[in-house]
Amino acid sequence: MRNQKIIKICFLLSTFYLLFSFGSSFAQSEKFFEIRAKKFSYTPNIIRVNKGDLVRVRLISEDVHHGLFIDGYGIKTSAHPGMEGSLKFVADKPGRYTFRCSVTCGEFHPYMVGYMVVGPNSRFWMYGGIVLGIGVIAFLTTFLRKKQNVQG
Amino acid sequence: MNKNKERIAVTLMLLATVVTIVGVFGIESFRRKQFYTVELIARSPLNGNWTSRGKDGIWHPRKIYAPYGKEVKLYIRNIETVSHGFALPDFNRTDLCDIAKQVVEEKKHSVYSRNRFFYRHHSCFLGCI
Amino acid sequence: MSKDKLFGLVDLDWRFELTKFKLIRALFKSRWFPLLAIIFNLFIFVIILIAGLIGGFSAGNYNFGIMIVWILWWVMLMFVLVPIFSRAWCLMCPFPVFGDWMQRGALFNVNPGKLKGLNLKWPKALKNMWVMNILFLVTTFFSGFFTVRPLATFILLGGIILLAFIIGLIFEKRTFCLYVCPVSGFQGLYSQFAMAEVRRKDPEICKNHNVKTCFMGNECGYGCPWMLAPFHFTKNTYCGMCLECFKSCPHDNMGFNLRPPGVDLLVDEKRGLDEAWKAFIMLGIAMVFFLTMQGPWGVLKDMVRGTSLKGYLTFISLHSAFSLLIVPAIFFFFSWLSKLFSGAKEVSLRKIFTNFSYTLVPLGLGVWIAFSIGIILPNGSYILHIISDPFSWGWNLFGTKSFPWTPVFTGILGYLQGLVLVIFYLFSLAYGSRLARQTYPDEAQAKRGWIPMLVFLTLAALAFLWLYIG
Repeated sequence: MRNQKIIKICFLLSTFYLLFSFGSSFAQSEKFFEIRAKKFSYTPNIIRVNKGDLVRVRLISEDVHHGLFIDGYGIKTSAHPGMEGSLKFVADKPGRYTFRCSVTCGEFHPYMVGYMVVGPNSRFWMYGGIVLGIGVIAFLTTFLRKKQNVQG
Repeated sequence: MNKNKERIAVTLMLLATVVTIVGVFGIESFRRKQFYTVELIARSPLNGNWTSRGKDGIWHPRKIYAPYGKEVKLYIRNIETVSHGFALPDFNRTDLCDIAKQVVEEKKHSVYSRNRFFYRHHSCFLGCI
Repeated sequence: MSKDKLFGLVDLDWRFELTKFKLIRALFKSRWFPLLAIIFNLFIFVIILIAGLIGGFSAGNYNFGIMIVWILWWVMLMFVLVPIFSRAWCLMCPFPVFGDWMQRGALFNVNPGKLKGLNLKWPKALKNMWVMNILFLVTTFFSGFFTVRPLATFILLGGIILLAFIIGLIFEKRTFCLYVCPVSGFQGLYSQFAMAEVRRKDPEICKNHNVKTCFMGNECGYGCPWMLAPFHFTKNTYCGMCLECFKSCPHDNMGFNLRPPGVDLLVDEKRGLDEAWKAFIMLGIAMVFFLTMQGPWGVLKDMVRGTSLKGYLTFISLHSAFSLLIVPAIFFFFSWLSKLFSGAKEVSLRKIFTNFSYTLVPLGLGVWIAFSIGIILPNGSYILHIISDPFSWGWNLFGTKSFPWTPVFTGILGYLQGLVLVIFYLFSLAYGSRLARQTYPDEAQAKRGWIPMLVFLTLAALAFLWLYIG
C-alpha cells in the first residue's frame, strides 16, 4: 500500500516537472501582425507568439467598424474602413487567449473571435498532464488492486 | 376550495401576461407623448438610407420634419446589425429655428395647400459614422 | 458490509433532507409554491417575447430576449440548476402553465375529477427520449439564428409555448414536458448527476398506504403530473419537481434531499439507448457549438448562419452525422474493445454500450459548464444594459443602460475551463469503474473491460481540453 502511494506520487511529480520545464527557453523577439477584420472573422485567425515577445498588431477593417479585444490582457483597439487600429504589448502571459470583436458589427458579433497563442501553452500542457496522470493512476490502481486481491 | 386564492392566482397571471404587455406599450406611448417624437430608422444607403416618421405617421425618406420652436425627441432605431452613428453637423438649436423660419417663408403656400402649415420642414444632413 | 464512498470520502448512501426544516417543508406543501415562481418566470418570458418581437432582425447582443435566454438562463441551467438542483427549472418553467390551467380548470385550487382536454396517452413506443433527442438536435440547426436574431428567439420560444399548450389539450398531464420539450431531454439526463432529489422517505409508510394519493391525487394536490409513481421512483430523470406529491401525501412522506453527485448513474433501471444517444448528442453539440461560436474559423460561422444554402446544408449534415453517428460509432468501438478485453461472452454488447454511455453524463455536463463559462465571462456585462433598457427604447430602469461591454476574468477563463473539465473527468472515472462492476458479472472481467472505457474517457477529456484551451 505504501509502495503504491510512493509510486503514484513520484509519477505525478515527474510529470509536472517535465511539463513545466517544457519550452522555458524560447527566445524573445518582436512580432508584427496585420490582422484583417471582416464579418465575422479575422485573418489571420490564429496568431502565435512566444512568451516575452513584443507584439505589434495593426487592425484593418475590410467592411464595417470592428474592434479587437484580447482576453487576459484587457487591451483593445478598433478600426473603421480606411482607418486602422493598432496595439502594442508584451505577451507576458502564456496560454491560448481569445481576441474578440469589441464593436457591434453584425448579428454574429459575439462570435467574432480569433486566437492568440502565447507559447509555451503551459496551461494546456498542465491540464493535459493532470488528465493523463489521473488516467494512468486509475489504470495502475485497477491492476494493483487486482494483485492485492490475488495475494490476499 | 379557496375561491379568493384562486382569484389572486388568476389576477397575478393576468398581471404577468396581459397587463405586462399593455403596460409596456402604454408606458412607452406615454413617454413619447411628452415630446414631439420623431422615429428615425437608421439604414445604410445600400438598404434604403434613413427614413423618419413623425406625428403625421408618414415615412419620409432622408428627411426629418420637425415643428418650429418645439423640443423634438428623435428615436433612432438601428434595424441593421452594424453600428450606425448620427450627426447633425449643420445645427445647433438656434440654427434650427433660423433655418426653419426661412424655409417656412419660402414654402408657405405649398405647405398650406397640404393643410400642414403648422409644420416646418428642413432637410437635415445626416452623417453616418 | 463496507460502504461505497465517492473518492473515498463521501458515502454514496448519504442523504441530507432539506424538508426536515419546517420552513422549507411548509413552502413545499404550500400551493403557492412553485406557482408564484412560475408566474414570475412567465412575466419574464412575456418581456422576452416582446423584446424578441420588437428586436426583429437587429443584432442580439443588446436584446433582452437573446441575452436573458441564451446567456443568463442557459448558463444558470448548466451551472447551477441542473448539476445542483436537478430539474429545478422544470419546477418553475412557465411553458406548460397554460396547458395545466386548461386541464385543471384552476391555477391554485385542486379541482376534483377528471382533467379536461382529450387526455390521450402518448404512444408507448415514444415514451422515451427519442422525440426530444431529435427535436433538440433539429433546434440546434437554427442556433445561428435564434441565438443572434431576436425575432428568431421569439419564434422559437413562442412556438414551444404554443406547442406545450396544444399538446396539453390533446394528451394527458405533462406529456409535453416528459416527451417533447427540447429542454427536458438534457435536463433529464444530466439530472442523474444532480446533488438533489425528490424521494419518498419511509418505504413502509408507502407500502401500507393503499390509496397512493401521490399518484392518484386528493383534495390537497394532483396526482403526479409527470405520471411517475412518487412512492417508488428511484431516478431523477423524469421527475419534474412539481412538488404535487408533497402536497398530496397525507403522511408527509416525501423528502427533498441533498446527496452526493451522480448517484443516479448507478441505478440500474430504465437504462436505454435513447439516453445513451442523448449523451452522444450533447457531446456532439458541445463540440460543434464551440467550433462555430467560440472558434476562430469564419467559414464555419458562415455555414451556421446560412450565408449560402450549400454551406448551411453542409453544416446540418455534418452536425447531424457527428452527433448521431460518429460519436456513437467511436463509443461503440471502445465498447466492443471493452467486451473483447473483458472476455465476457455472456454480456451483450448492447448492455456494455448502454451502461457505459452513462459515464458521458459527468463529462458532458463538465463540457457544457466549461462552454458556458466561455459565454458568460466575456458577454455577461450585456445583461446590465438590457435589464435597464429591455426594449431598446431608451429606458433606464436601473441606471445601467450605458454600462459598456466589459469582459471579466478573461485571464483565468482558460484555467477555469480546464479545472471544470478535470473535475468532471474525475467523476466520469469514479462512476465508470462502478458501472464496469455493474455490467460484468466477474470482478476480473470488470477490471479488464473498464480499461478501454478509461482510455476513451481520457481521450475525450484531452480532446475537449485541446478544444477549449489548447
